[in-house]
Amino acid sequence: MKRILSSITDGRGFDIGLVSLPLAFLFILSGLPLVYNVVMSFQEVDMFSLGSFTRPFVGFKNYIDLFAQPETWPILLNTAIFVTASIAGQFLIGFGLALFFWVNFPGASWLRGLFLVSWVMPGLVVGAIWNWILSGDFGVLNFLLRETGVISGNIFWRSDPSYSLWAVIIANIWLGTSFNMILLSVGLSGIPKDLYEAAELDGANAFQRFWTITLPMMRSTIGAIVALGLIFTLQQFDLFAAITSGGPNNTSNVTQYWAWDLSFRQYDFAKGATISVIMIVFVMFASVVYVRSTRHEVRG
Amino acid sequence: MGIRKFAMLGAFALASVSLPAFSASAEDVTISVWSLDRDIQPAPNLIKDFNKLNTGIKVEYRQIQFDDVVSEAMRAYSTGQAPDIIAVDNPEHALFASRGAFLDLSEMIAKSSVVKPENYFKGPLASVTWDGKYYGIPKATNTIALYYNKDMFKARGLDPNKPPQTWDELVEAARKLTDPAQNVYGITFSAKANEEGTFQFLPWAQMAGGGYDNINAEGAVKALDVWKTIIDEKLASPDTLTRSQWDATGTFNSGNAAMAISGPWEIDRMLEEAKFDWGVALLPVPEVGAERSSAMGDFNWAVFANTEHPEEAFKVLEYFVSQDDRMFKDFGQLPPRSDIAIPATGEPKKDAALQVFVEQLKYAKPRGPHPAWPKISKAIQDAIQAALTGQMSSKEALDQAAEKIKAVLG
Repeated sequence: MKRILSSITDGRGFDIGLVSLPLAFLFILSGLPLVYNVVMSFQEVDMFSLGSFTRPFVGFKNYIDLFAQPETWPILLNTAIFVTASIAGQFLIGFGLALFFWVNFPGASWLRGLFLVSWVMPGLVVGAIWNWILSGDFGVLNFLLRETGVISGNIFWRSDPSYSLWAVIIANIWLGTSFNMILLSVGLSGIPKDLYEAAELDGANAFQRFWTITLPMMRSTIGAIVALGLIFTLQQFDLFAAITSGGPNNTSNVTQYWAWDLSFRQYDFAKGATISVIMIVFVMFASVVYVRSTRHEVRG
Repeated sequence: MGIRKFAMLGAFALASVSLPAFSASAEDVTISVWSLDRDIQPAPNLIKDFNKLNTGIKVEYRQIQFDDVVSEAMRAYSTGQAPDIIAVDNPEHALFASRGAFLDLSEMIAKSSVVKPENYFKGPLASVTWDGKYYGIPKATNTIALYYNKDMFKARGLDPNKPPQTWDELVEAARKLTDPAQNVYGITFSAKANEEGTFQFLPWAQMAGGGYDNINAEGAVKALDVWKTIIDEKLASPDTLTRSQWDATGTFNSGNAAMAISGPWEIDRMLEEAKFDWGVALLPVPEVGAERSSAMGDFNWAVFANTEHPEEAFKVLEYFVSQDDRMFKDFGQLPPRSDIAIPATGEPKKDAALQVFVEQLKYAKPRGPHPAWPKISKAIQDAIQAALTGQMSSKEALDQAAEKIKAVLG
């Protein structure tokens, strides 16, 4: 007893105490639900057995049933397209904007701050607004495209199977671009200016400077952004609920929306959990990328 | 301080907290009621009136949100904290009844002088029935019918007093009324990928001899083909697939659609927004003389099986039922009963519309009842949308839905 007490006062036990608190916190709030979710995916769960932990185990039945459903593969493919296109769009536009504001013209930082407005808006609000913009008959986007002569007839963004997923992607790119831009701006400002001066003296042109200095110096930032982007886009739920409800006929359905639909609209909690487990695998992959990309960062 | 002193202090503290609570309800039995009704809707007002009667039963009310009704009820029930009485959406009723979560009220209803099954419309009553027993009492009801713009009918040379009676007439009228140059569609409805889509399509299938357990019947395929014609010829907006009934009817009110399939909940908004003469007609049928059918919406009352006061809970329900004649007058909701006449409101358009809805209610059929209704519904929604977007033929889409529903029905 005495030894434990003294270990707290001499510092070593204190350290362990400090570490164990957040660890316990993490385990209870993240670890347990995660394990519970995995367990649930191997059980037969309905709404009345939701309250108890002792439920019949069914092995891989939920997984087998899930992959036997005709909509599963299209939905997985949709998720892949949604994630890739969203991340690519958010990153490219965000990077472009970050480079633009990096020029530092008068009012640049002020304008850059304004861009964050989109990031702080709740997803459901963004969804409702884009719902109007993308509306087929009276939408603003169709109006603009028609007036500029890009299209002759209205595009039914939300209801045409070949556009519905892209309707959500467009909204999501808009939503996430400013976050990418801010992170990339921070990364850009961290590159020492003298590198560019030296390169300029050596006769490197703008493209060469970008390719040989900016990109390599931004490696860890880019890695982090892509990894965070994967996590954020895999969480994106509000936009689907607000714009397409996953329709028409699942053409804009993605795993995260489907998991919610299965659990809370069809009350098939086991299947919902099963999809979540599949998603966990992807997020873990993203975490590995994220951790690796930040590994080389110098810590003070 | 000794342990004993400490314990006494604790006991005293406990007693002082619980004493006033005891004295207030010395003889009163407390019944808790959950529903989604807001303060201008029936539940909280009826409860207020009931509590004034001092019957020795005290009713407590809690409002829950529409989206949370089932999940809240489930959680509360499985942790033993369910209320005594709850209002649930009618297609969810069987889910609870089939698992014994709701109390079988059959005997109490048989003895009751207030609740009489023969007074109810068939549809609402069927939705509280499971295995031949009554697991609840219908609270209110609604259905869908065809709204049409009389001014547009006149302008296009159609008789405003002869709204379309059959599917063919409906499509024909929609063709005449559609005017892309003026941004006017012939008809508007909802085929959204949620319960609303099922709610709107199922009556069509049922009128032609289909049903949820027979969704690929020939008539149902024909019904979906009619929908497909309407969408393919752009007689209705392609956004019908993602628009809710509320949004769809909004385009009717603004004059961008000449007909709308929707429910009585739209009447007041229409009186306010629609700047034209409109009327309501029964849902068109496949051909003259065919069996009618309609969708049925709104909520049911139920008593949870683990209530400690079943008798008192039923008394509260009896009071609610005894006030059914106020449902429309005071709260604008349709009582689920055929023995209560809807009083005239003095607003001719509204009164005429209500007459049609009450007539339509006679043919309203519940969705299910089946404990796995949401899964059945999802299969139907997917089929509707697959066909309307041209990914599958109506037959293929409904065959696939039938396959999925068969797996659910077991």
